[in-house]
Amino acid sequence: MRDAPSNAAEDSAACLARAAVSVVDLHKSFGALEVLKGVSLTACEGEVVSILGSSGSGKSTMLRCINLLETPDHGTIRVGRETLSFEKDRKGRAAWADRRQVERLRRDAAMVFQSFNLWSHMTVLENVVAAPIHVLKRPRAQCVAEAEALLAKVGIADRRNYYPAHLSGGQQQRAAIARALAMQPRVLLFDEPTSSLDPELVGEVLRVMRSLADEGRTMLVVTHEMAFARDVSSQVLFLHRGRIDEEGPPDEVFSRPRSERLRQFLAAAG
Amino acid sequence: MDITFLADTLVELLKGAPLTLELAATSVGLGFVLALALGLTLQSAPAALRWSIRGYVTMFRGTPLLVQIFLIYYGLGQFRPTLETLGLWGFFRQPYWCAILALTLNTAAYGAEIIRGGLQSVPYGQIEAARACGMPPWTAYRLVVLPIALRQALPSYGNEIILMIKGTSLTSIVTLLEITGVAQQIISQTYRAVEVFACAGAIYLSMNYLVAQSLAALEHWLSPHLRTPNIEDAVAIEGGLH
Repeated sequence: MRDAPSNAAEDSAACLARAAVSVVDLHKSFGALEVLKGVSLTACEGEVVSILGSSGSGKSTMLRCINLLETPDHGTIRVGRETLSFEKDRKGRAAWADRRQVERLRRDAAMVFQSFNLWSHMTVLENVVAAPIHVLKRPRAQCVAEAEALLAKVGIADRRNYYPAHLSGGQQQRAAIARALAMQPRVLLFDEPTSSLDPELVGEVLRVMRSLADEGRTMLVVTHEMAFARDVSSQVLFLHRGRIDEEGPPDEVFSRPRSERLRQFLAAAG
Repeated sequence: MDITFLADTLVELLKGAPLTLELAATSVGLGFVLALALGLTLQSAPAALRWSIRGYVTMFRGTPLLVQIFLIYYGLGQFRPTLETLGLWGFFRQPYWCAILALTLNTAAYGAEIIRGGLQSVPYGQIEAARACGMPPWTAYRLVVLPIALRQALPSYGNEIILMIKGTSLTSIVTLLEITGVAQQIISQTYRAVEVFACAGAIYLSMNYLVAQSLAALEHWLSPHLRTPNIEDAVAIEGGLH
């Protein structure tokens, strides 16, 4: 019995050392509205962390802060080797991060959006190769070959010369996942990836996400798909009003919710 | 109807066509560069700069092109000593350069508004997607923002180009012998205004027809993503849904 906690501590220390992503004490306000009131999370290499919470709980903001689409007011974000700390200055203004450092961090934290956000004037293939060629400066031929392999992996190889507007929602989201994978990121960030899909198209996107998790990719997933969170996650976070209300392995969080709020949330989610 | 006179007039008028095209091409080209710079500046510049651009756009959109040509050619001529000191008299002395300047400033004012509208139409999510994969701002502009904004702006900009081609006719007032200038010369010799202007109008019409056709072709070529794909593709997509 004595060994158990120390083992756990060793495990978590080892995990911290090789953490793919860690977030410490993140705060973010929009005007007077404090959306994040100090949240922290660590995802080790190969872990899938699901972030749950009702609308307005701050879960999307948290994910967007990790990619720095929102600039945090306070806190530390580490992705791979890149660490960025934020602190408001004495006048209360948010500090500006170094642009190049932000760009380096973003390459390692690829984002998949709720509304896909594929570039509408480019074909699927052009969408996937754009950033590897122009941001990572890798040779075009190599990028195209890799992109074709990725499109085959997400099951839309035959759609590579289509424009986003000519694809179904599920195909667009799978193209967006391929675009994210093409950056060879340390972590994939999913911001409600199935929330704007018709119910019959949700499955094809979740299948791709499951296969990525099986490959051992590090993923942070903001989602309302409870079955996915339960089956695939290594950790589940439940956010409520800008704080982490409960966290743990999915079995614990789903079967033995401690807080009343999480019980209500799970009951409502069915 | 005097076919010989019409044919002779047409040949004479066509000698003015190169100047018309030159004025239009130069001012549309320079005006586009200026409009793009102003449109981009309006996106992000400090308030003082934005207000100066707003003022310029208001002035040039709110006054007739004819008045602008007049003011630049005859109006600035009154400041000859000052312009000579500044070394600019060589430029403002010539009606050709005054006309180019007036046309350019005029089209850039409209163009800046058109491009601003195009830039605002770029869906924010697509800009975010560019930022999210670590694109530096200029790369995001080059690959995502400008291609979308300029495609969006193209139909309105095409209109502006056609207006400018017709606008060059006003430069005849400062002695330039482009198509309309030549027409007035012929009329003063022959007093046959109807035939001469009919010929001039026909030349403008054919020029603008060609320009409009080219613009339509350009638009078609640039926007495969906005068209419905052909039937087989549509069926394939439908099939892909299930």
